[in-house]
Amino acid sequence: MNRYLSIIFILIIGCEQPDLHHATAESIYNNVISKKGEEAVLLNFWAMWCAPCVAEFPIIVDLADEYENDLAVYFVSVDWLDEEDKVVSFLKDQGVTWTTFIKDEKDNAFINGIHEEWSGALPFTILYGKSSGEVLDYWEGEQPEKRFRKAIINAINS
Amino acid sequence: MKKFISLILIGCLTILSAKELDLGSILPLGDIKMADISGKDVSLNDAKGKNGLLVIFSCNTCPWVIAWEDRYVELADTYKDKGVGIVAINSNETQFENVDSMEEMQAHAKEQGYNFYYTMDNGSKLASEFGATRTPHIYLFDKKDKLVYRGAIDDNARKPDKVENTYLADAIDNMLAGSAIDPTATKALGCAIKFAK
Repeated sequence: MNRYLSIIFILIIGCEQPDLHHATAESIYNNVISKKGEEAVLLNFWAMWCAPCVAEFPIIVDLADEYENDLAVYFVSVDWLDEEDKVVSFLKDQGVTWTTFIKDEKDNAFINGIHEEWSGALPFTILYGKSSGEVLDYWEGEQPEKRFRKAIINAINS
Repeated sequence: MKKFISLILIGCLTILSAKELDLGSILPLGDIKMADISGKDVSLNDAKGKNGLLVIFSCNTCPWVIAWEDRYVELADTYKDKGVGIVAINSNETQFENVDSMEEMQAHAKEQGYNFYYTMDNGSKLASEFGATRTPHIYLFDKKDKLVYRGAIDDNARKPDKVENTYLADAIDNMLAGSAIDPTATKALGCAIKFAK
């Protein structure tokens, strides 16, 4: 019986698809603000061919799992829209089945809409406080696990 | 105590993003010689035209560079004869031993038909001074060496035929005509410059 349950479980997990949505800066912010008072939020902007993005991706997935009760992680792909299928495959390979986004807006408006200090370089990460809903931290470029963890703990407690 | 923590936080946030060269700034590090794909050493002052200088922070492999670089060549075709000098600068210090080596730069330039200087920024000195963060990242200086535009080439890297705003070409045209440039700063996505750590 346990064996059958295990097989069913594996099939369910295997069939689970990433929940990828087209997004503008405004629609992403609406998701962020909806979490205010419930969870801290981490946005990570990435692309499949961006080596530093891919390198830090699993670190963020692990932290999303570890802090799942207090933290909402939204990955935002900025890959070309005609490569959306590849993005879905990548997310699936990484075990990301929760809500994620893919940019569907002109760069200039999108970048400025996310944060005025973001230059457009990738990867870009920004954190919002659990209680305050305000931007608490952000950075461009790849960072180690301890940098993410410190920022996440701060966001959960703010 | 809260004020102290806030100050620390603001300080941390400030150093997380490079400070971009302010509009109106005078061309910095104009005399620094850089190795060019021609085999000669070239400075920004050498690259200047009589009516201005277009600086493009670039590299060999970034998909955004690959998508946009056909327009580098078009811009050079259009504006070199109008007295605007053009130089692409590779500041990816951590990749100078492999994909962004001088040999790779020469091969890439030949393949893409580069008709402008393409130089190696040892120590990423110019990228640091300009506050350049990504490739491509554009800086346009007028004939008095004053920064008049910075940011993106246009608003569609992937599909040149779908471009709606030719930011850079418009800025150059207005600069040459002595007209106001609007916008003077734009943003685009790009690959982070690989500074040495």
